[in-house]
Amino acid sequence: MSQPDTEAQPVSGEPEASSATTSQGKPGVNYLNATSTFASWALTLDHKRIGLMYLIGVLFMFLLGGVFALLVRTELFSPIALITPMFADTPELQADLYNKWFTTHGAIMVFLVIIPGIPAALGNFVLPLLLGAKDVAFPRLNLGSFYLWVIGAIFFTYVLFSGGIDTGWTFYTPYSAESGTAVIPALVGVFILGFSSIFTGLNFIVTIHKMRPPGMTWFKMPLFLWATYSTAVIQVLATPVLGITLLLLILERALGIGIFDPRNGGDPVLFQHFFWFYSHPAVYIMIVPPMGVVSELIATNSHKRIFGYTYIAFSSVAIAIFSFLVWGHHMFTSGQSDKMSIIFSGITFSVGIPSAIKVFNWLATMYRGALVLNTAMLYGIGFIFLFTIGGLTGLFLGVLSINLHLHDTYFVVAHFHYVMMGSGLIAFVGGLHHWWPKMTGRMFSEFWGRIACALVVIGFNVTFIPQFVMGSLGMPRRYYTYADKFEPYHQLSTVGSYIMALGFFLTAFYLIQSLISGKKAPMNPWGGNSLEWYTPSPPPTENFHDTPDATDPYDYEGLVYDPATENYSPKTQVS
Amino acid sequence: MNPVSLLLAQSEPTFWLPKSASNFAEPVDNDFYFVYWTSIFFLVLITALLVIFCWKYRTPPGESAQTQQDHHLLLEVFWTGIPILLSVLFFWYGYVHYLQMTTPPKNSISIVAEAQKWAWNFSYASNGATIPGMSEDFNAIRDEVRSGDLSAQQAIARENKILEKAGLHVPLGVPIEVTVMSADVLHALYIPAFRVKKDCVPGRSGKLWFTPLEAGTFDMYCAEYCGQGHSLMHSKVVVHETMEEYEKWLEVAGSYDETLPFAENGELVWKRRGCISCHSINGDQKVGPSWLGLYGSMREYTAPGVEAELMVDEAYIQESIRFPMKKVSKGYPAQMPVVKLTDKELLWVTEYIKTLGQDSGGTESPRKEN
Repeated sequence: MSQPDTEAQPVSGEPEASSATTSQGKPGVNYLNATSTFASWALTLDHKRIGLMYLIGVLFMFLLGGVFALLVRTELFSPIALITPMFADTPELQADLYNKWFTTHGAIMVFLVIIPGIPAALGNFVLPLLLGAKDVAFPRLNLGSFYLWVIGAIFFTYVLFSGGIDTGWTFYTPYSAESGTAVIPALVGVFILGFSSIFTGLNFIVTIHKMRPPGMTWFKMPLFLWATYSTAVIQVLATPVLGITLLLLILERALGIGIFDPRNGGDPVLFQHFFWFYSHPAVYIMIVPPMGVVSELIATNSHKRIFGYTYIAFSSVAIAIFSFLVWGHHMFTSGQSDKMSIIFSGITFSVGIPSAIKVFNWLATMYRGALVLNTAMLYGIGFIFLFTIGGLTGLFLGVLSINLHLHDTYFVVAHFHYVMMGSGLIAFVGGLHHWWPKMTGRMFSEFWGRIACALVVIGFNVTFIPQFVMGSLGMPRRYYTYADKFEPYHQLSTVGSYIMALGFFLTAFYLIQSLISGKKAPMNPWGGNSLEWYTPSPPPTENFHDTPDATDPYDYEGLVYDPATENYSPKTQVS
Repeated sequence: MNPVSLLLAQSEPTFWLPKSASNFAEPVDNDFYFVYWTSIFFLVLITALLVIFCWKYRTPPGESAQTQQDHHLLLEVFWTGIPILLSVLFFWYGYVHYLQMTTPPKNSISIVAEAQKWAWNFSYASNGATIPGMSEDFNAIRDEVRSGDLSAQQAIARENKILEKAGLHVPLGVPIEVTVMSADVLHALYIPAFRVKKDCVPGRSGKLWFTPLEAGTFDMYCAEYCGQGHSLMHSKVVVHETMEEYEKWLEVAGSYDETLPFAENGELVWKRRGCISCHSINGDQKVGPSWLGLYGSMREYTAPGVEAELMVDEAYIQESIRFPMKKVSKGYPAQMPVVKLTDKELLWVTEYIKTLGQDSGGTESPRKEN
């Protein structure tokens, strides 16, 4: 999974120290090149190396999930079988294949990419740095979570090679109890990934509680930490329910225990309750960390104090709490009692409030700031735009009467892609650019970065806006073939997905290029004032030579920009 | 009334919404446009601010912000309060209309819609007739239109011909209560033009109701993923102009002509009761064994704890229909639902299978062992 050598190579053998290496550090030695044996990566306890290995794994899985997305979109370019006949002979097998594609796309993206994306990959790298700490509280547990993720990924790979799975990522019973595909290996995979997620959450909770530097009270933490903390609480509390549910489903399939399958006296709606009790909070595992990332991107690149700090912090907590109380809004048509539907609809709207508060506070942060429109900032702005659409379209679905029309149509597909991808993944990519110099010690091409960002955001909208329209016109989701009247919308959507893919490939290209020949990154290229910008890029293995005192993460007044080194440094140390 | 009641439901599809053909189209569409215009307002506002800020405050690196103000209580109250107020309104309209949509009036006409993989059957309480959805035939028409064999007009004529004995039929202006059920996995009955949807849950029954306000033919889909044939599981809703027309249709469509040969009625059973979706009559391999050459052939089967071979005869056919799990043909998944046929239907369909059997010239095309 990890390719430590290629990763370490570009920065190894640096002739000189980063401009800001302190007197105690050995020049040129950092966490990437301190040791270079295979074991030093595979058995590392360094949160930065673990974060990097997560990152490589997550990006690889993103590529895989993306390929399946492109297969799905290409097939849907026409209502007639287009590319499935290349892989399957009969129309029945072709339909089965399509069903496996969209299931694989969904399951990989949710369980292997978006859920671990920001917390485990970026969070692992950044969180201890933000705290001025040497590592997370439990480094061995951290490595353990990574290997659980790897085992989960291996199970999914096994599923791919053993004929795939066709239940949809939601595993709804009784279909999942009788489907002839590799359901049990996939469930085991998700079960294991769940533990990876729980361990990461547990680790972060303890780290944030116990390892804050002197002077960093709760309300002086960078907002990314608030977001990570809220997410970690959800991970620890909700994921066990998913684990239990999946175990029960495995037992249902293997032994016919009759809990979810009506043929044995079970109840399929019970499965939906159990499933969404986890999977709705999971949506916030996917969106709260992005909100934290964007708070950092917007404030840093506006060079202005974050507006409404306490409101943004508490809205993360509020979202985490509300997230446990709204699962029934996935089930308005399922046959749960009307009273429950009404209550769930009411609570659902309460999630909209903290989301709105965040958006307005980000806007207020930008107001009269000094906006540097670098790639990361453009992703941050793109996030606000896409998240606004994702959030507003959620209102349609929360309104009971409209939901009965829109449920299980492409409108829902478009809505959750705006939230999970347009917001979640866009913020992940934005955060990746923001912390890329810190992680790799290299700067990337801003020129290509901005072009790729534009391609991704434009392609995204071209892909999913037509899906809103065809959804509200009545196109149900998970359809292999469809009525001819929906064809133009599908074609536009497919074209959009290609534009987006082009943007992502371009991103991969210039990021790899930056590893090979990118300019060396200064300590603080963007002018951030949280603690990670007070250690060299890339940081030494122990992060900080001395435990630093807490800074005010949003006080940008004390920094001065030096155009020659493209670095921001504290006023007192201007050379 | 909604604040946006000016935007009344129209019968023709709009950019966003399909035809409006039931009593729920108006309230749902009004709610939709209320949320829609509110959303457009906020989207335009937020996007405009983003663009203006990027335009006005854009600087090269190294500049300082014009201000470092980081809180403003009144603003926070303002932009927390307005979303709360709007949310309450959204919830309220959705709630009120949802109550209407889940409370059928007492004088409704009752129809049972039973879903199975991948077919619909509609049973009418007034005369006990069961009418199939005929998804297969509608899909065949789609294919022929796409390949250019059929013009749009011919397609409509063919559809109307099929709908004489198929589809969900209802009279105009009368409340209809549809009880939805499933014989196997989850499905969902969805009629976009009526704005109604309900999951068909095996082991439970659900209800939806509507009053059709426009005569004509409307699309009906399965909206809950149900496997291989999910996207092919569509049918039509026909709204008749008058009650008389509807009743006349029901009488004709619901009956078998008992003077016909058994096998011909058996073919109707095959289509009407959903056998068609898993059993072909031309040797094509589907979920279950093809009926071509089935009768009189030797088959391996698995029963609990047993694997054995038998010759397919009348007794085995009828046992397999009544108790599908007793002896499952080897190489096929144990997925056949119990379809409750009347005694006559059972007799007819057995005769039909016999005419497709070995003695009558059918050639067997055994499924490959996997």
